[in-house]
Amino acid sequence: MKHYFRELSVLGALLAILLGLAIFAPAFYQPQPLLSLLTREAPTLVVACGMALVIVCRQIDISVGSIFSVCSVCAGLLAARGWPLLLVLPASVALGAVFGAFNGVLVAGLRLPSIVVTLATMVTLRQGLNLVRQGEFVNLPEGIQWFGLGQTAGQLVLVIAAVVILILLALAMRHFAAGRFAYAVGTDAEAARLAGIRPQLVTFLVFVSIGALTGLAAMMNLAQSPQVQPLTGNGLELKVIAAVVVGGVAISGGRGNLWGAFAGLLLLACISPALTHLRIEAYWEKAIQGTIILLAVVADGLRSRKGGN
Amino acid sequence: MKNTLLRLCAAGIVLLGSLVPATAADSKLIVAMLPKSKGNAYFISVKAGADKAAKELGIQLLFDGPTDSNAAKQNEIVENWITLGVDVIAVAAENKEGISTALRKAQKQGIKVVTFDADAIADARSFFVNQATPSGIGYSLMDEAARLTGGEGEFAMIVATLTAANQREWQKHIEDRLKEKYPKMKLVAVRPCDDLKDKAQSETTALLSANPNLKLVMAICSPGVPGAAEAVKQAGKTGKVKVIGLGLPNENKRYVREGVTDSVILWNTGDLGYLTIHAAVAVAKNELKKGAKTFKAGTLGPFAIEGDNILLGKPFIFNKSNIEQFDF
Repeated sequence: MKHYFRELSVLGALLAILLGLAIFAPAFYQPQPLLSLLTREAPTLVVACGMALVIVCRQIDISVGSIFSVCSVCAGLLAARGWPLLLVLPASVALGAVFGAFNGVLVAGLRLPSIVVTLATMVTLRQGLNLVRQGEFVNLPEGIQWFGLGQTAGQLVLVIAAVVILILLALAMRHFAAGRFAYAVGTDAEAARLAGIRPQLVTFLVFVSIGALTGLAAMMNLAQSPQVQPLTGNGLELKVIAAVVVGGVAISGGRGNLWGAFAGLLLLACISPALTHLRIEAYWEKAIQGTIILLAVVADGLRSRKGGN
Repeated sequence: MKNTLLRLCAAGIVLLGSLVPATAADSKLIVAMLPKSKGNAYFISVKAGADKAAKELGIQLLFDGPTDSNAAKQNEIVENWITLGVDVIAVAAENKEGISTALRKAQKQGIKVVTFDADAIADARSFFVNQATPSGIGYSLMDEAARLTGGEGEFAMIVATLTAANQREWQKHIEDRLKEKYPKMKLVAVRPCDDLKDKAQSETTALLSANPNLKLVMAICSPGVPGAAEAVKQAGKTGKVKVIGLGLPNENKRYVREGVTDSVILWNTGDLGYLTIHAAVAVAKNELKKGAKTFKAGTLGPFAIEGDNILLGKPFIFNKSNIEQFDF
């Protein structure tokens, strides 16, 4: 119980907001708008899972927003050329994985700091995309939105897919050797190496994973609308890093889990619709989100001082 | 280096090319038009109008610009045109201060300068062809909202950010018009979308469920219009909640066709190009001078001049009846 105090406190805060909405703005709980809002967060959740993995490994990837945009636009262009979804989906995942591998080689292979490497990829990809697309939307053919299913069915597929990925990755991180390796490398890379783990390989694979997950998330976003805005995913990196940190994943590595990241994401994501429903001015949105992040970081700081590690 | 060489060669070819007809058809006037970026669909549609005017006036039109929005490259192109000795330059400035030095240099060489779409510093050009004044945009949006709702009911607004200067200014004019003319309409919420279509969609979804009596969503940033439309469509409120906004035809065609979005407001980009070339030629021929109150541009008739701004006039409304004719 004490071990999961951070995760439980985030969950508590989320439940408090949901309870407040139930009392003061019951209109929030209408099935269709709620499902639409959840579907909008499904791709973000998938990227947040990858980010939790990276941060547990004591790395960071701020290029996810740009990778997301490039994958979205490329997948959109392929779909517009008449490629079937069954080919576009793996293409987008593979493209994301390639960008992730590129980051991974520089971070793990050349041992460069991940914040600098991914800052460079972030800017390069974003500007490259601006140069090529000039902000022009990609119009998708019929049958891409909701995978050709109905709206509600398509939304359910996306939400369930995101939750399944969350569960699989959470279980893998806890029970599979590969998952435990990430914690080991994030806690103490040298000790992990002495225990027979190859920290550089783990780091590389973690970057490939977040890239692939981002490519997948781009597809999950693509399927929600009939067109792709090249700016899509701008600021996504901040959103997922915030969700992961609020959810109790220590930025210093080695601690936290995906359930916390999930709760953190929902907590941050419900602020904006909650304000709309409570008729509070939008100026407060970022201030409240910032305060939540600050509280989370302070809580982590206090705990690590008390715990001495 | 290689790039510079290539550009020099290109300039040489253009120079040669322009010399030949110049001697043949006793010195046709050369108008050089510089968009922010030449591949952009918006400026391509401006060029269509410019081409039409060039043909009518029998002048030679050079249309060149950076491939991306690059202020430094705009300066290079102006320098090349100075060397080439064009008669008049029409510029959509990427960087107000940055381009003005080069434009002043052109003026010193006897080249006339006008600006369009985005102005330079006032002393670096003779006229600015102003496509839309903030009050023109604000009033048109509010009038259109009132027309669609019958002048009463609740509406909400999606903006890019709460602090962007142009957004604040448009919002102020919308609210002025609302107060002045439509007492039965009520603005219930203003939400930012950070220029992201996806966020505009989430915001509109929440707006719709929080305000069951909402009759219209107005988006005053271009990604906000399709974002709001997608939310209205997903909520099954097509037709019940109207969507209007400031945006580009191509991003909204689909929703206009489906009847989700009613009106997209912008200016007629073809007319902007047409008026700019007419103004540029009139300035070069000294027919249009400081202090003029109106200017007659070919078949489009007279345009008002405010100070040194030639006003394109009321914004243009794209709707089901005309949007298919536009491709930008």
